[in-house]
Amino acid sequence: MSTVFADDKAAYGGVRGDAPTRWIARHPLAALAIAVAVVFVLWLVLAPWPTGFEAVFGRKRLFISALFNGITLGGLYFLVATGFTLIFGLMRNVNLAHGSLYLFGGYMGYEATQWTGSWLLSYVVAFVCCAVVGIAMQFFIFRKMEGQDLRQTLVTLGLSIIFSDLMVWVWGGNAIQIDTPDWLSGPIPTPIVVALKSSGAPMFLYYPRVRLVIFAAAVVLGVGMWLALHRTRIGMMIRAGVDDRDMLSVLGFRVQLLFMAVFAFGAGLAGMAGIVGGTFQSLSLGEDSHFLLASLVVVIVGGMGSIPGAALGALIIGLSEQIGTVYFQNYSTVLSFLIMVIVLALRPQGLLGRR
Amino acid sequence: MALAQTTQEGPLGIGAAPRSGELAQWVSRHGPILLLGLFMVLFPIIANDFFVRQIAGWTMILGMIALSLMFLAGYGGMVSLAQMTVAGVAGYMIAVLGVSSLPKVSLFWPWWVAAPLAIVIAVAFGTLAGALSARTEGIYTIMITLALAASFFYLTLQNWPIFNGFNGFTTIPAPYFLGVNWGGPVPLYYLILFFAALSYAVVSYVSRTPFGLALQGARDNPRRMEAIGYNVTAHRIAAYAFAALIAAVGGILLVWQNNQISPFSVGVDVVINLLIIAVVGGLGHPIGPFIGALIYVILRTFALDALVAVGLDGRRFQTLIGLGFLVIVLFSPDGVVGLWRRFSARVRGNGGRNGL
Amino acid sequence: MSTIAERIAAAGTGNAIELRAVSRFFGALAALTDVTLSVRPGERRAVLGSNGAGKTTLLNCVTGDFPPTSGTVRFFGEDVTTLPPHERIRRGLRRTYQVSLLFQRLSVRDNVYLACRGVSRGRFSFIRTRASDAIMQSVTDLISLVHLESVADRPVGELAHGQQRQLEIALALAGAPRFILFDEPAAGLSPNERADLVAILTALPTHIGYIIIEHDMDVALRVVESVTMMHNGRIFKEGAPREIEADPEVQELYLGGGHG
Repeated sequence: MSTVFADDKAAYGGVRGDAPTRWIARHPLAALAIAVAVVFVLWLVLAPWPTGFEAVFGRKRLFISALFNGITLGGLYFLVATGFTLIFGLMRNVNLAHGSLYLFGGYMGYEATQWTGSWLLSYVVAFVCCAVVGIAMQFFIFRKMEGQDLRQTLVTLGLSIIFSDLMVWVWGGNAIQIDTPDWLSGPIPTPIVVALKSSGAPMFLYYPRVRLVIFAAAVVLGVGMWLALHRTRIGMMIRAGVDDRDMLSVLGFRVQLLFMAVFAFGAGLAGMAGIVGGTFQSLSLGEDSHFLLASLVVVIVGGMGSIPGAALGALIIGLSEQIGTVYFQNYSTVLSFLIMVIVLALRPQGLLGRR
Repeated sequence: MALAQTTQEGPLGIGAAPRSGELAQWVSRHGPILLLGLFMVLFPIIANDFFVRQIAGWTMILGMIALSLMFLAGYGGMVSLAQMTVAGVAGYMIAVLGVSSLPKVSLFWPWWVAAPLAIVIAVAFGTLAGALSARTEGIYTIMITLALAASFFYLTLQNWPIFNGFNGFTTIPAPYFLGVNWGGPVPLYYLILFFAALSYAVVSYVSRTPFGLALQGARDNPRRMEAIGYNVTAHRIAAYAFAALIAAVGGILLVWQNNQISPFSVGVDVVINLLIIAVVGGLGHPIGPFIGALIYVILRTFALDALVAVGLDGRRFQTLIGLGFLVIVLFSPDGVVGLWRRFSARVRGNGGRNGL
Repeated sequence: MSTIAERIAAAGTGNAIELRAVSRFFGALAALTDVTLSVRPGERRAVLGSNGAGKTTLLNCVTGDFPPTSGTVRFFGEDVTTLPPHERIRRGLRRTYQVSLLFQRLSVRDNVYLACRGVSRGRFSFIRTRASDAIMQSVTDLISLVHLESVADRPVGELAHGQQRQLEIALALAGAPRFILFDEPAAGLSPNERADLVAILTALPTHIGYIIIEHDMDVALRVVESVTMMHNGRIFKEGAPREIEADPEVQELYLGGGHG
C-alpha cells in the first residue's frame, strides 16, 4: 500500500456530511432512475398484474415468491458477509475460513438443538463457539503477522482446508437439516395480492413464518450494527480503523483487543448464520465454500469494508439468485457472478465502497 | 531475494546468445538448472511409464500453470487465483474446437487450428480477468480472481450447449504429427518437458527485462511507478496476458495428458490447490512452482497409502495437505525455495543469493 | 501582476506550472482552497508553511497523485488537469516524495534504471537491456551524482535513511526533466548530505525549474529565487526570499512559530 501523507490523511477520515442529499444533487438522473425503479417494483408487488403482463412474465405468484425468497436469502447472506467485510475492512484479512465458520456454527447449532431442544438457545451456542474459534485465530496466529495481509489470507486458506476436512470427519458428508421450531413453522398471510379469483376477490400470498422472522431479525441486527458503529465509542474506533489504518496505531495495545472483538463478532455472526442456513436450506459438505463465495461476491458488489454495502450486495445477490432460478433456470448462479463482473468493470471499489 | 541480481547481468541471461568467452561463466551460473534439464531429458530412460507420466508429467503441467501464478504473484504482487481457470478455458476450448467423444458439441477441427485458437481465447479470458482485478490493490485480487474462477466453474457446470455441463468432455486425443503419436507416455513427456523448460526459461529471462522489472517496481510501489512515468494498470494487464499464455499452454497439455476435462478440473478446490502448490514451492523464484508441484503430486499419489500404512485414516489426506501448507506459510513464507536459500546461506555463510 | 515580458512568455511557451483556482477537498475538509500560482520555466521557487498548510497536497495536485477537486493545472501551457500522473511525468515533470517511496526489493541500480526507462521508449520491452546501451550510462551517471556507487547493487530496503533520500533525488533527475517538485528533500539528511543536496540543486541546468518544500531555511532560501507562503490551504504571500524573511506577518505565523 502506498504511504499516506499528513496532508492526505483527510482523504480517508474526512467528514462526510449528509451524503445522500449530496449524491442526489450530483447525480439527478441516476436518482430519478432509481426512484422510478422503486415505484415500478412497488407496483409489481402490490398491484394485481394485468393479464397481458402475466402472459409475458409468468404468474405473479411465482415472481412474488422469488422476490420474497431473494430478499430473505439476502438477509442470510448479509449475516454471513457482514462479518467477512468487517474483518476485511479492519484487519485487511481476507478470511477464507469464513465459510468454515458458517458451517461449523450450523453444526454446533444442530447439536445444540438435538441436546437442548431449544432453537433459540442454539444461536447462543453457535455464536459462542465460533467467536471462541475467531478469538483463538486472531490471538494465536494473526496477532503475530500483523500487516502481512497475504500471509494472513494464506493461513485462513490452510485453516479452511483443515476445518472442512475435520467437519466431514465428524458430521459426514450427508445433508443435515435443522428443524424449524413449532412456534415458527407454517405459513402466515401477507397483505400482498398475488391473483384475483374469478369472483374478483383477491388472493393473498402465504409465506413461511420462519423466513420472515429471520429476515426481520437480520434487519434489526443490521440497523443495530449501524447504530453501534456510528453511536458508540468502540464503533467509532472500528470505523476510524477501517477508514484509515494509521489511526489504529493511536490505540496502541488496545488495537489487539479491538481486533479480537471484531473477529469474535464476525465469526459469531457467521456461526449464527449457519443455523439460519441449516433451517432455510441444509448443512452439508461444500456449503462452506458456497457461503464463502457468496460472501466474496456480496462484498465485492457492495463495497469492501462497508456494512451498508454488505446489506445492499446481499440483497442484490439474494434477489439475482432467486429471480434467476425462476427466469433463467440454467444460469442462476452465473447471473450473480455476471453482476459482480459488471460492478467491477464500472466501479472497482464496489457500489458503496470508497477508494 | 532472487531479484537482487543486477541489470548488468542483462546480456548474460538465458536466451541471450552468450559470446564464446562468456560461455563458461554462463554455464557455471546456470549449472544447477542445466544439470536438472539434463536429468529430465534422460529421465524416461531410468524411470518406468508410471513415473514418466503420472509423476513427472503431472509435476511439469501443474508446475507450468503454477508458474503463471508465481509470475503474477512473485513479480507483480498480484495473487491471481484465475490462472487454473485460464488453463481450464484453454482445455475446454481444445475439446470444443477439436476432437472429443461428443460430435454434437465438438467441431473436430485439426489440432493445429484448435490449439492456437484455444490459446488465443484463454489469453483473452486471462487478460479480461486481469483488467477486472488490476485496478484494485493487493489483497483484493485474491477475492476477485477467486470469485471469477468460481463463476467459470458454475458456468461449465450449468451450461450444456458449449461446456456439456456436469459431464464435460472425454476421449480428447493428443495430436499425431511428424509420424509420432504424442499421446504416448514418452512422446507426451518430451512435449511437456519442452514447454515446461521453455516457460521456465522465458519467465527467468523476462524477470530482468524492462517489462519484468517494471512489474516488480509496480509490486513494490505502484504509486511511485506512476510518478516515474509508467502506466501501472497497463503493465499489470499485460502481465496477466503474458501469464495467461503460459497457463493456456499448460491447460492444453493437461487435457492431452488427461484425455478429458470437466467442471471438476476447474473447481474451487483445484484453483486453491494451485495456489498451495505455488506458495509451498515459493513465489520468489520460477523454480518454486515446479518444486511445489512435485511435492503435491507425490503427496497426492502416495500419501493415502502412506497414511494407511502408518495406521492413520487415509481419508484425512486433506488435513495433511492443509497442515503442511500451514507449516510452510507460518515458518517459511517464501516456500521451499526460501528454506533452501536460508539453508545454503547458512552453510556457505553468504547472502544466499545464488541458491538456485 | 505579471510584466509584459512574462505575459509574452506565457503566451508563447506558457508558464512551466500554472494553477488556476485549484481546490482540493478530502470529504468536507479543504486541504487547498482556491490556489492560483504560476511558475516560469527555469524558475526556482520555495513553498513554505506549517504542517497541514497544504504544501504536499499542492504537489499532489500538480503531479496528479491526487487530482484537484476543482480548478485547472497547466504544465508548459498544456492543460493536464485530468491526465494521469504517468502522462505528466512523460511530459517532463518530476517529483520526489516526503517519505521515500522506493522499490524496496530492487537494487539501487534497478531503481534508477526504472526511472530512466519510465521516461523513455521500451517500457514494455521483453528484451533485456544490454550493458552497452546508452541508458545504462545515464543510470551510472545518476548513481554517482548522488554518491551511491558503493551500494549500487544492494537492495534499497537495506539502505540507510540518508541514502534512500539521495536515491529519491536521483529518481527525479532521470531522463530530461523540465520541471521538478522536491518535497522536503533535506529531511533526515546529515549536514554533509545537505551540502551535497545544495550542490546538486544549484548545479542543475538553468532551464530546469523546480518547486521545493523545505523546513530547513538554510537549504530552502539558498537554492531559490522566489518564495510562496501557504497557510491553511491558501497562498497568503509571494516574494523574494529576502522580502519573505523580513515580513513581520510571516515571522509571526511561521518563522517565529518555533518551526524548524
